[in-house]
Amino acid sequence: MTQNHNLAFSGGSQDTRYRASLNYMNQEGVVIANGFERLQGRLNANTTTMDGKLILGLNMTASQVTNKYLPFETVGGFEGGVFNNMVTFNPTRSILNSTAGGNPYYEIGPGRQGQRNPVALANQVKDNAVTNRALGNITAAYTIFSSLTASANIGVDKSASVRNHYFPAISPAGAEFNGLAAIDNRSVSSATVQTLLTYKPNIGEQSEFEVVGGYEHADYTTSGFGAQGRNFLTDAFTFNNLGAGATLNPPYSYAVTNRLASFFTRANYSFKNRYFLTGVVRKDGSSKFGVGNKWATFPAVSASWKVSDESFMRNQSLFSDLRLRVGYGLQGNQAVDPYASLTLLGTDGGARYIFGNTVYTGVIPIQNPNPNLKWEQTAQTSAAIDFGMHNNKFTGTVEVYNKKTTDLLLRVDVPQPAVVGQQLQNIGSVSNRGLEASLDASLISSAKKTWNVGLVLSVDRNKVESLGKQKYIGTGGVSGQGQSGRQSQRIIPGQAIGTFWGPEFSGINATGQQLFNKYKVTRDAAGNETGRSLDGTTTSPGGDDEMILGNANPKFSSGIRTTGTLGKFDFNALLRSDVGQKVFNNTALVYATKSNALQDKNFLKSAINDGIAISEPAIFSSRYIENGSFLRLANITVGYSFKVPGMSAKSGPTRLYVSGDNLLLFSKYTGYDPEVNAAAGLAARGIDYLAYPRARTITTGIRVGF
Amino acid sequence: MKITSRTMGAAALLVVTASAVAIQGCTDLTETPTSAITPDNYYNTQAEIIGGLAGVYSTLRNTLDEYYNVSQVSTDEIIVPTRGSDWYDNGKWLELHRQTWSPTSAAGSDNINSAWSNLWSGVAKANAVITALKPNQVPNQAAIEGELRALRAFYYIALMDLFGPVPIVTTTEIKERPQNTRKEVLDFVEKELIAARPGLPAKWDAGNWGRVTQGAVDAMLTSIYLNAEVYGGTVSASGIAKGPARWADVITTADKIINSGTYSLASNWEANFRPDNQNSAENIFVVRFSTVDGLGLNLNMRSFHYNSSTAGGWNGFSTVSDTYNAFDAADRRRGIFLIGPQVNQSTGAPINDRAGNRLIFTPEIKDPTAANEGEGARIYKFTLDKSVTNQNQPNDFPHYRLGEVYLSKAEAQNELGQTAAAIATINQIRARVFAPAKPLATSLSQAQARTAIYNERLFELTGEGKRRQDMIRAGSYTKPFQFKTNTDAYRVLMPIPQSQLATNSLLKQNPGY
Repeated sequence: MTQNHNLAFSGGSQDTRYRASLNYMNQEGVVIANGFERLQGRLNANTTTMDGKLILGLNMTASQVTNKYLPFETVGGFEGGVFNNMVTFNPTRSILNSTAGGNPYYEIGPGRQGQRNPVALANQVKDNAVTNRALGNITAAYTIFSSLTASANIGVDKSASVRNHYFPAISPAGAEFNGLAAIDNRSVSSATVQTLLTYKPNIGEQSEFEVVGGYEHADYTTSGFGAQGRNFLTDAFTFNNLGAGATLNPPYSYAVTNRLASFFTRANYSFKNRYFLTGVVRKDGSSKFGVGNKWATFPAVSASWKVSDESFMRNQSLFSDLRLRVGYGLQGNQAVDPYASLTLLGTDGGARYIFGNTVYTGVIPIQNPNPNLKWEQTAQTSAAIDFGMHNNKFTGTVEVYNKKTTDLLLRVDVPQPAVVGQQLQNIGSVSNRGLEASLDASLISSAKKTWNVGLVLSVDRNKVESLGKQKYIGTGGVSGQGQSGRQSQRIIPGQAIGTFWGPEFSGINATGQQLFNKYKVTRDAAGNETGRSLDGTTTSPGGDDEMILGNANPKFSSGIRTTGTLGKFDFNALLRSDVGQKVFNNTALVYATKSNALQDKNFLKSAINDGIAISEPAIFSSRYIENGSFLRLANITVGYSFKVPGMSAKSGPTRLYVSGDNLLLFSKYTGYDPEVNAAAGLAARGIDYLAYPRARTITTGIRVGF
Repeated sequence: MKITSRTMGAAALLVVTASAVAIQGCTDLTETPTSAITPDNYYNTQAEIIGGLAGVYSTLRNTLDEYYNVSQVSTDEIIVPTRGSDWYDNGKWLELHRQTWSPTSAAGSDNINSAWSNLWSGVAKANAVITALKPNQVPNQAAIEGELRALRAFYYIALMDLFGPVPIVTTTEIKERPQNTRKEVLDFVEKELIAARPGLPAKWDAGNWGRVTQGAVDAMLTSIYLNAEVYGGTVSASGIAKGPARWADVITTADKIINSGTYSLASNWEANFRPDNQNSAENIFVVRFSTVDGLGLNLNMRSFHYNSSTAGGWNGFSTVSDTYNAFDAADRRRGIFLIGPQVNQSTGAPINDRAGNRLIFTPEIKDPTAANEGEGARIYKFTLDKSVTNQNQPNDFPHYRLGEVYLSKAEAQNELGQTAAAIATINQIRARVFAPAKPLATSLSQAQARTAIYNERLFELTGEGKRRQDMIRAGSYTKPFQFKTNTDAYRVLMPIPQSQLATNSLLKQNPGY
């Protein structure tokens, strides 16, 4: 259930305009004890003065967001969170405790428990966060001459959040600590300055030229503070009296800053409104990289040609619009932590030691230096055709691109001895080649009836070109009991990101054990695989029996969108489809395993007749790599607009609408939704593990203009 | 809303001034970390150096992670059976017990890789502080240098023990380096320990208890001399070619400890492992633990059933029945095993398995690939502080204690032909654990005494991470034992994990792998 209310007004004089708005939104989660509330106010104003030479602007937004999180959604250590226990907790057990006093919720026993009442977990564990954010900027643009304009933009953005936790002593989640309360404060702020000089000389009737030069910089600061208390006499305080805990964990605090600075220039030239050329050069500096590598230059150039305006096109009527575009650009990525190039010493909690009976704070290197650390760069080349036919009754775009990212910022293992086993390096490269096409048709267009249909198609081929010296990087950690150390994906040069890696399931033997294909592998002197041949089956697959099991990227994605009006009614609908991708059903691996019953846990119905013995462990294999192709009816909206009698002519129409999201899903995937991505490590994708359910929502609304 | 031209003029001025100031100051991209330290401004005062030293010590706790697990599970002391999905973990635990690991296998890329990284991290931390120390910088510097060198030597002993030939590194650059031979590592460790010893105290005061002493160095030396034939030898695809024995040196260093007056055998054997075991006069070099969160010992969790204590348990590590049954029923030391109907060790209340039936531990494990919750005897040597409801138990873990020194001395005496003296030494250990007394017969032959000493080490040291070394010395490590068939003789060395070979192209894989 979601409520959303908006109120806005605007006004002003000829020189000065303003607009103020207030928005309130309250969204209840699909799962109990989960929700989101936001109150937001905005003020925008601008004014023109000095005979129109100076334009001043002001924008301010302030918001408060309150999030009620579901504790332990899927995590929560070995015992699992709400979703894990929803699956495994025996539903014939009661939810509430019938005996008076003590825990109002039923639990299997007192204290820490291997299985927990999921309703109690959701309702008893408190986890909420309040974020206050204020951002504002002022802008000034001054016309020095008619061809020269100077402008400046100064902005600040500050958000402060407080996250509160309480794990009650009465709950199995907090029993181990006899109650645990924690408060974490986090503050993120940025200050930006941008100055621009725009020169647009008059160079004749047929040409236009504009050059912009500018400088901008941004300072970012993140700081935090937190404290934790445990061992409470009562659960009554929740997180509001940390000091009442008999055991206080040491508080922590931190602050990090970083800075981005850029000089840039952009030039546009057009001739006869038919030929366009744009060039950009940026020199970007980031404080995060090594001395001498902080600055990098990123050029870009693009050109387009409006073919349909050429004289030779006048004699045809098929193309009402035809444009060709090509472009090349280089972009930088600096998404690493501040100080990433320096040796850092830290007071890591794991470096403490006890002499006598005193705990001494240990100081150890916590980061290996890399003075050569530099910008990751992506070069993209693209070419496109935009077209309109039959007076733009049909319009469309076809674009092809080739993107190559080099000097990837990756954390890689370093030779030992090293205090920290990894170092951030610029290694390897990844490429993406693809095609994006869209076609829109305006099938009916009259005053009382309109109907538009659009098709989109995209194809993307991703490939890891190189990983430096690394042969592969394992990722996609498998979740669940008995799965530690198991990874489901490998990033391998020559393959796509999201490549699944593991043994091939081949069947079940007479005693109900899972069988896997066994391979005989030949290797050269350097240990590289030179060949493999099938060598029967095995119940305990080893390293040689593991291989590529497909990848998580769709062969293509497509969509159909339609919009239309019929009198006072309007409608639109969206169908989406991804085809050819694989999904790892981690949920099935863990919960469609009968041996759960030995631990008094539920298992999924699909496991009852799968022929596998009750003692057989859950083993990751191709058995759980499923076809994830799907077709989804993503949205249908129907609206009705009318004039409310008595409202002024200036006000807009009033509209009533009903909208449905995620209405139908067609897929052979056995889990409940193949469009998933559990966080499971570096660049992992296509893993389904107890995903938060995608809601099927019906929205009704009314918009009143006055 | 009314805005005068004067306020607008002021605003415009503000914008222009602010941007001018901004441009001047903001092309400076120098970084100055605020909540972390760089080496340039650290390691200057005594307190800062003690902070560095504590960091080097802290890796001792990690020796009880995968170095300990690999040393235990690959022997006849411990098996981690798969119970349903529990402890399957990609097959790594059974792979360890069956000794079927490879450089890329589940155990190779997980347990063995972690052991490698953890131990090297100790070496690297020690090197970072050693290289930062300037001459005569702080009071008591000789002791601090001695501690750092002895700790680094200790991490090298563990590396040499598992992996054999490894690079000897005393500087901090991160770079590819070639291996030294295992014999060179042995000589380096010996030289470092001998050099560190004079700077160290025989005993620290109560406020510094747990730091490295001369006795700790002597115990490390005793251990490397005991294993000198293995550590000083070479391993090929067909197994170990032994190096020279150092039996006389074992006796010399063992006697230094025994005669130091600092240590004595605890009359109550269990006192060495209890939560108050820092009072034991027998423990020579320990890993310190306390009830502070994150600094506690969690060994029991590995063997406890989920309901075996208030803090739970993980229901993993079990002892194979052949080993459990090898203990004499009259031997007090058999009391380390949990067997039969179980109670919560914190409260004494009877406990059930997860299906709701009374939990009973049985010595037999029918099928380690499909065990039930109660199969297998469990080691419970480091008894609980019952007031602690979480996993942070305060028992110290002895890497070396006087009981083992006696056994090492006895082994050396027997190898040197002094069998009667060896039996007398062992009987000192047995006297406190049998009532009525049950000494070994003085009439044993040298070969019989060798077997008796090998077994006595099992009874005395089960759960203390020594079994792999003992089995390799005795030549039994790659031979068949319960739930393991004969394996290739080169498996006395662990493979260097593939991911480590990838980072250092100068490393050569151990023979056979």
